[in-house]
Amino acid sequence: MGTLRELQAAIGSAMLGGDAGAAAREIEPDGLAPDARLEIYRHHVLTTLTSALEATFPVICRLVDRRFFAYAADTFVRAHPPTGPCLFEYGDSFPDFLAAFPPCRDLAYLPDVARLEWAMSAALHAPDADAMDPASLTDLAAEDMRRLTFAVDPSVSFLDSPWPVDRIWRATQDEDGASNDPVDLASGGVWLEVRRAGDVATVRSLAAADHALRTALARGGTLEDAAAAARGVDPHFDLTAALHSMLDERIFTSFAVST
Amino acid sequence: MTPGGGLGPPAPPSPIPHAPGPLPAACGIGLRAPHVAEFLASRPALPWVEVHPENYMGGGPAIAQLEAVRRSYPVSLHGVGLSLGSDGALDARHLARLRALADRIEPCLVSEHLSWSVVGGAYLNHLLPLPYTEETLAVVAEHVGRTQDALGRRILVENPSSYLRFRHSTIAEPELLAALVERTGCGLLCDVNNVFVTAHNLGLDPVDYLDALPAGAVGEIHLAGHAANDADGHVILIDDHGSPVAPPVWALYAHALARFGAVPTLIEWDIDIPELGVLMAEAAAADRLIAAAPAIAVATEVRDGHAA
Repeated sequence: MGTLRELQAAIGSAMLGGDAGAAAREIEPDGLAPDARLEIYRHHVLTTLTSALEATFPVICRLVDRRFFAYAADTFVRAHPPTGPCLFEYGDSFPDFLAAFPPCRDLAYLPDVARLEWAMSAALHAPDADAMDPASLTDLAAEDMRRLTFAVDPSVSFLDSPWPVDRIWRATQDEDGASNDPVDLASGGVWLEVRRAGDVATVRSLAAADHALRTALARGGTLEDAAAAARGVDPHFDLTAALHSMLDERIFTSFAVST
Repeated sequence: MTPGGGLGPPAPPSPIPHAPGPLPAACGIGLRAPHVAEFLASRPALPWVEVHPENYMGGGPAIAQLEAVRRSYPVSLHGVGLSLGSDGALDARHLARLRALADRIEPCLVSEHLSWSVVGGAYLNHLLPLPYTEETLAVVAEHVGRTQDALGRRILVENPSSYLRFRHSTIAEPELLAALVERTGCGLLCDVNNVFVTAHNLGLDPVDYLDALPAGAVGEIHLAGHAANDADGHVILIDDHGSPVAPPVWALYAHALARFGAVPTLIEWDIDIPELGVLMAEAAAADRLIAAAPAIAVATEVRDGHAA
């Protein structure tokens, strides 16, 4: 072995389930096979990262059972290891991985439940931010209103799904599951807003048009463009009422007038 | 100095001033998520706590709780994510986040590990072993220097627990740590359980290991439990932080205190975490040994600190 760089590349491969031969050749046996020594490290890497995913996706873990989750997570970790040391930020691509994971093919709703769990985890850990004062809009010229853009609270995100993922999520919260009615998977789609409130992540259902408005604003769109998106869903959409609701909910941290 | 004996009635809030200062030579605990709410509610009589900064780099309830803890206790930031031993540059974003957290929390100590975790942009979530060579010493010294420059303070570097050694290592671990102290001015965090585990697994004498460390550089000691695993008929000790400190590790700790003086000590417990009282009893046992130890040989350096 030449350099530290080469050795670390070889061990990195061995840790993520790739070829361990190059790493093993650099290790003194000392009475125990080098690969058995590497396995101690590999086991820790894979099991602790699987545990990190389990902490972020507990509902997925319940829905598929723990052994299957460990199998899926192990496959995910090998292909998509974390890119940084803050493990609460690990797993953003796990929902897409589940969507493409052949053993999950029959559980079509699973990726969207995972997206909901990821949004809740992200909400819980999002940076703290102060809401803007609604009164700061009062001096705005009427012609500027349509060109308004907003920065949305970093803990807020939006999600839509053809599956009732919020009801699926709630159904898993009861430990014994006995008091829950079965969730009707055909009961229709949902438009959701996820946000941190106090110390917990909250989920609430939105009307489709409100979801369209808020999603467009969160992406940086102008109020005029966002209103058009909402009216595309509901021609009778009441923009004034919707804007007041968002200001009352303190969902924005700042505004700008787009030029 | 805080007298020995961590168990007792809950202390009143805010017994300790907020300003960073030298740690008392007494035993604290690693504060983990399952204990934080109880800790804040009961304010146990403990001299200090240590946390992993990587868990507090977002917003929301986690950092708010850490700030609440910090209002009443000295807090040490014990990093696991800098990857001091990785070839190539340190993760600048992570270092900046550590700096921001340190500015906010004003930790009594900042420490990291003689190990690596990052390769090719992947973070492997383990304190992986290094070959002990001049190249490694140069890489780690460079990264310790950059970290100390970024934080504007001295850090402590911890000896890892090892399950293997590399054929091309040419420097013994305590000598490499001594050279690191010499080159960077860093201090050492001596994990006595890690010394015991590594010595067993690699056939070294743990007392010789401790005696080879530069005594004046040791600013903190860690204690934890380990497990014994049978691997192909070969007993390997695993540093799992999942049980009480083992009797031979207590004995080695007494030797460490005799050599390093009454150094601030910490109990770590990370899997199968028991109730808080169990950790406090472990800390009280360490305090009894600290009380019998000579006064510290060299003060733990803390900038703008004053005598405790």
